[in-house]
Amino acid sequence: MAGAGSSGKFAFNQIRKPPSGSVLYEEHLKSTNKPHIADFAGYLMPLWYSSISAEHRAVRQTAGLFDCTHMGVLEVIGPTAAEFLNAVTTNEINNISIGGAQYGYILDAGGDVLDDIIIYKRAENKFIMVVNAANEPKIKEWLKKLINDNVIIDIDNPDRKLEYKPVIRDMRDTGSGSDCRVDIALQGPASINILSTLVNREVQSRIENLISFHFAEAIIADIECIISRTGYTGGKIGFELFVHPENAPQLWRRLLQNGESFGLLACGLGARDSLRIEAGLPLYGHELAGPFNISPFEAGYGWAVKLEKDFFIGKAAMQAKAKTYDMKVVRVELPGEKGIRPVRQNDATLDSTGKCLGWVLSCAKTGEKQSALCFMNRAVKENDAVGVYYLARSQSQIANGRKEQVEKNAVLEADIVGRVVSRFAKF
Amino acid sequence: MIAEGLLYTKENEWAKVEGQTATIGITDYAQEQLGEITFVEMPAIGKNVKQKDELAVVESSKAASDVYSPVTGKVTEVNSKLESNPELINNDCYGSGWICKVKITDERTMENLMDSKQYEEYLKGL
Repeated sequence: MAGAGSSGKFAFNQIRKPPSGSVLYEEHLKSTNKPHIADFAGYLMPLWYSSISAEHRAVRQTAGLFDCTHMGVLEVIGPTAAEFLNAVTTNEINNISIGGAQYGYILDAGGDVLDDIIIYKRAENKFIMVVNAANEPKIKEWLKKLINDNVIIDIDNPDRKLEYKPVIRDMRDTGSGSDCRVDIALQGPASINILSTLVNREVQSRIENLISFHFAEAIIADIECIISRTGYTGGKIGFELFVHPENAPQLWRRLLQNGESFGLLACGLGARDSLRIEAGLPLYGHELAGPFNISPFEAGYGWAVKLEKDFFIGKAAMQAKAKTYDMKVVRVELPGEKGIRPVRQNDATLDSTGKCLGWVLSCAKTGEKQSALCFMNRAVKENDAVGVYYLARSQSQIANGRKEQVEKNAVLEADIVGRVVSRFAKF
Repeated sequence: MIAEGLLYTKENEWAKVEGQTATIGITDYAQEQLGEITFVEMPAIGKNVKQKDELAVVESSKAASDVYSPVTGKVTEVNSKLESNPELINNDCYGSGWICKVKITDERTMENLMDSKQYEEYLKGL
């Protein structure tokens, strides 16, 4: 059977293409702050324009604008779209009403996370699913195989097939219709004020009344738009704006123009990462799946896996995982003043006796502190002291006896000590 | 930005040679690539280094980068200001952001370094 063995693992070998610019690439090159561009998931994306710290601060204090046009946007449409999504994703699709959005996971039959996603319900039989840029080719292939009955969906019943076959469309593909959509994120406390300058009264009131994980379809700056109160920065106020790719540059420019007096900055992937780490939000490949194959339960999102549903792909593995997992993602705050060596992915995290209880998954400098998301024993609790041992980063450090990797339960001396803080920051 | 009168390596270090002493730092191109520098690990004073030996580690929030010695010699001085102000490398990489000084013991090692014109050409090819 193509793409899956009896373990239910979905093996996907992506063909790497040379990177190409996002639809906003020309806008980035025009930016007065020369952006630092890098290849991210096959797209040439800005890492930062001014500086990561200035962009991070802007999102917390005023507002930041993010090119998210590389994110996958897939439409699932048809009389059985809801049933299909309920079988393919872990959350309960019937819990959202039209205009609502929901976080969830796509798993393979073995229970491995293929992606974390947000589903937007636009009409009874019409949904949009936003997927990670890096996972988009894999998810498209997975969905295609599901529609074609070409993959195992239940390891206990390998002949099982999905009964529901909706139409799936790539909303970013301009050949797929006039209603294409790409994502631009406007995040931060001033984002609502900036949006207000570009809409009429009626739309303004609809935007003001949007609560978290809800959206409206309206006109912004003469552009048809899905305005969603969602984001990846952890702030109280933030929007994702879904527009036609051809309109994205115009909306980007208008937002930057009108936002300037509010302190709006264009933000790159660097600030996107430091903001989500500070907030405690997971990134696929780090706090989900990745080298530790982290499940939604370990990531702290068991609530988005509805084990009471009759069926979803990967359910058996999730039922077992829910009973047995003994590691979890914790957020640790560490000193981060100038001159302190930055903590990095895979550095060892130690308890107060120096015993290794886990590893760093992601870390970012946030002001005078460092925020780290760490994979540690489930028994670790808020306010516990956590030491970090820096792994060797150079040949001379290795020559001086610094370790290149640390096994669990090894005993070491901490280089820097911080504390476990509540998993999700409040701003 | 490239400073005149300095010698350069392909690993984007610079050396300013005065008498027997080379002052060493990383180039503007290198600091731009790293972004906001938050930590510098200095060599020990008195350390003997060969050309291309590891001399220092410069870290930003996004990356850690080794600094290799452009020359063969002995470390005589380090820029201790970088301990509490590593951002000097971002602000003034050819000036107050210097990393260390090395007393050159083998002048032949300088022959394979680039001058500012050659380095400029080299960067165009990156």
